[in-house]
Amino acid sequence: MLDAFSRAVVNADASTQCVSDLSALKDFIAQGNRRLDAVNAIASNASCMVSDAAAGMICENQGLIQAGGNCYPNRRMAACLRDGEIILRYVSYALLAGDASVLDDRCLNGLKETYSALGVPATSTVRAVQIMKAQAAAHIKDQPSEALAGNRLRKMGTPETGDRCASIVAEAGSYFDRVISALG
Amino acid sequence: MKSVVTTVVTAADAAGRFPSTSDLESVQGSIQRAAARMEAAEKLAGNIDAVAKEAYDACIKKYPYLNDAGEANSTDTYKAKCHRDVKHYMRLVQYCLVVGGTGPLDEWGIAGSREVYRALNLPTPPYVEALSFARNRGCASRDMSAQALTEYNALLDYAINSLS
Repeated sequence: MLDAFSRAVVNADASTQCVSDLSALKDFIAQGNRRLDAVNAIASNASCMVSDAAAGMICENQGLIQAGGNCYPNRRMAACLRDGEIILRYVSYALLAGDASVLDDRCLNGLKETYSALGVPATSTVRAVQIMKAQAAAHIKDQPSEALAGNRLRKMGTPETGDRCASIVAEAGSYFDRVISALG
Repeated sequence: MKSVVTTVVTAADAAGRFPSTSDLESVQGSIQRAAARMEAAEKLAGNIDAVAKEAYDACIKKYPYLNDAGEANSTDTYKAKCHRDVKHYMRLVQYCLVVGGTGPLDEWGIAGSREVYRALNLPTPPYVEALSFARNRGCASRDMSAQALTEYNALLDYAINSLS
């Protein structure tokens, strides 16, 4: 498993050079608190994000909860929720480390094959991950949709930055995209 | 590669939980010290050739027998390799400064070094002398800030201890 720093070191070692370009790592350090707040935003809202993603996925495809659907008995619905949480957890690890290697090695490696062997529909899984991606962006920006959340609206109340942590939002989005492309 | 972040993530993954507040605190602590490490890494990267050359010269000066026929520093090829080895250690120290842990030195420098030096019949005291020279050569505020120098010296001490 690598983080942003050891990734730079491994790349430099391939050409037996010192790590010469430290500007990206200095940015990482300067934005450290944003990153930690972003991870905290995901971790604190995880169960809400996962259940909403599963609910949204089913809402758009009612066949999933009818007899023969992949979320039909409670047992399979529970497996679906568990997998959503696992994927979100590894995305939060990748975001904390600033590198996708933990997500790739421990979550995505072989996931597509496992799901196709178990008959889990890829399109539905991808849809749930897309919903989690949108939720993660909303929570990191601390701008959850008041229209959609209604009286369940939760805000982190972290200090606002001018760009609403745009770079961290983009990075988190890239990890969700990684999950989506691994499943597709 | 062992660092604060990977240690925290490994522990959280083993327990199957999201990063907790205390996990984030650990990472925050590492980030706070990172500025000094980056400064030392930057300075070392810019001067690694001069630093390695000085350290190499110092160890040959202390152990002149290495220049005798058949010894480790006798031919031009051997000299170049000795110099390269010292530079390797300095490069690994630079990596450790970047990572914020001793992972690179452990994995790429120390693991197996005893066996290699024994197989090649290389003496370790000259390495210790070269690294000790570099350890005592740095000067706070002339070369880098005091905190950066502390981080740099701590890693050189770690490398020296592994050889002695």
